[in-house]
Amino acid sequence: MNVKTLGKITKWMETTDLNEVVWKKGSNKFSLKVNSAQPQACNVSTHSSLVPVNSPSIGIFRFAIRGKSCLVKEGAEIKKGQDMGIIEIGKNFKPVKAQENGFVKIICIEDGKTVEYGQPLFFLEPR
Amino acid sequence: MKYFNKILIANRGEIALRIIRTLKEMNIDSVAVFSEADRASLHVREASEAVCIGPAPSNESYLCIPQVIAAAKLTGADAIHPGYGFLAENPDFSQACKKEGIVFIGPDAASMKKLGHKAMARAIAIKSKIPITPGTNGCVFKNFLQEAKKIGYPLMVKAAAGGGGKGIRLVREASQLNNAVEMASNEAKAAFNNGDVYFEKFIENPRHVEIQFARDSKGNVVSFPERDCSTQRRHQKLLEESPSPAVNKKTREQLMSAAVRLANTSNYVGVGTVEFLLDKDSNFYFMEVNTRLQVEHPVTEFITATDLVKEQVLIAAGEKLSVSQSQVSNFRGHAIEHRINAEDVNNNFAPSPGKINEFVVPGGQWVRVDTHIYQGYNLPFYYDSMLAKLIIWGATRKEAIARSKRALNEFFISGIHTTIDLQKKIVNNEDFAAGNIDTGFMEKLLEKDKTAV
Repeated sequence: MNVKTLGKITKWMETTDLNEVVWKKGSNKFSLKVNSAQPQACNVSTHSSLVPVNSPSIGIFRFAIRGKSCLVKEGAEIKKGQDMGIIEIGKNFKPVKAQENGFVKIICIEDGKTVEYGQPLFFLEPR
Repeated sequence: MKYFNKILIANRGEIALRIIRTLKEMNIDSVAVFSEADRASLHVREASEAVCIGPAPSNESYLCIPQVIAAAKLTGADAIHPGYGFLAENPDFSQACKKEGIVFIGPDAASMKKLGHKAMARAIAIKSKIPITPGTNGCVFKNFLQEAKKIGYPLMVKAAAGGGGKGIRLVREASQLNNAVEMASNEAKAAFNNGDVYFEKFIENPRHVEIQFARDSKGNVVSFPERDCSTQRRHQKLLEESPSPAVNKKTREQLMSAAVRLANTSNYVGVGTVEFLLDKDSNFYFMEVNTRLQVEHPVTEFITATDLVKEQVLIAAGEKLSVSQSQVSNFRGHAIEHRINAEDVNNNFAPSPGKINEFVVPGGQWVRVDTHIYQGYNLPFYYDSMLAKLIIWGATRKEAIARSKRALNEFFISGIHTTIDLQKKIVNNEDFAAGNIDTGFMEKLLEKDKTAV
């Protein structure tokens, strides 16, 4: 079973009254539990203190302009207003700026990937 | 045969959805673009794929050429349909598409510039032997009073780049002229970045009729029976019908052949509309050309059994039109379109955005509803207030009006104010039933309403 299927099952579970689903195949066993006390909060709660850095434009994401090295690594300290990457829109570039001071907790983008406006690229742990 | 693989729709709301529907029928993939305020709109849901291109204000999303082009490039769209409004009549956008190797579904930048500039369009009309309202030869930059005297009062001051009722002023006497020129010019400068104005003789309470035409790159041209858009409030159309109750066969033929001449003279490739003023003696005068699909195009589709978006796609692909003049000239019945706006009629037509609590759409025989909203949808306040178009067909005008009454009574929207009740008043009006309408009709109807209260 892949992650996509798991996602589908959890989505479906949210539409039912089920709290738990167990799936057995040979020696493999999957058990999915939906937190009924806080529905659909499982993902958000662990990340709730994190601040997203969203894409300022549709385009192609780059960690840095060609020839420059990238300073954004997991755990790196980021200052408010610091460039965390750029968005290529045709021949134009738009910087991705951090809105707060913090540490890079999650990087959810790869270099050269297409992004849309408002898409989360990083999550910072504010300091 | 597949003419395009994927077409991006650079628009929102009902028109984006209407275009997606045709693309689906033509087996062409669609890309919807949307602003953050439109994430829940039906056009986003119905497209093959959708990308967010910016925040809610349209100048940072739907009007932002680099963002729209980037969306097309990144999704691999080979053509862009601009719909109406936004970038539909922007020559820079048409040019930008061409530069990027993306087909723009509409006329080229040169045609758009020529016909979109009202004074230049008048020159083309003269060349095409179409009567024009007496007015200045081109734009007026000085000696306003002298120029106005030549035409006579009342006259209209019009912005060369204008449209949608912006940059227009009525002048009844010389003392009002300078002020009107300044206001029209400033308004046009703010809206279209071009403050040039010209003068035109004012025809008292004319009818507003228009001819849809389509011309392919091989030079085949078809013109459609007239649409009557006289039911307007402050130059904004509220109801359109086709054919016009005031146009007889002879005048129709004259109007249709005028549009064909204009399309040929300007070597126009695409669908477009020529607008005319029609006076009480069936004299018609050229007004302007719209180089795009129009809001009211479905009435033409209903009586001629054509799909104008499909014709647009065919033309853009370099194919032949799929309809012929004889097919279109033998149109059938009568069609009426009601524009349902989210507006508070009793509060000077103020926009009425908000959550749609209940939404019951009319249906049944010969009823078409084009809308992007649904129950639970939150109507954003950033955009045009039109939320649905109700289009009716009947074998005769009388039958169409009866059906309109029935369908408008079925239409139920709660949570926001709408113009449904106003549309009911129009179809229940005796003058409307008799076909006695001109561009002064709505004003009179609303005035009567006020005194009745």
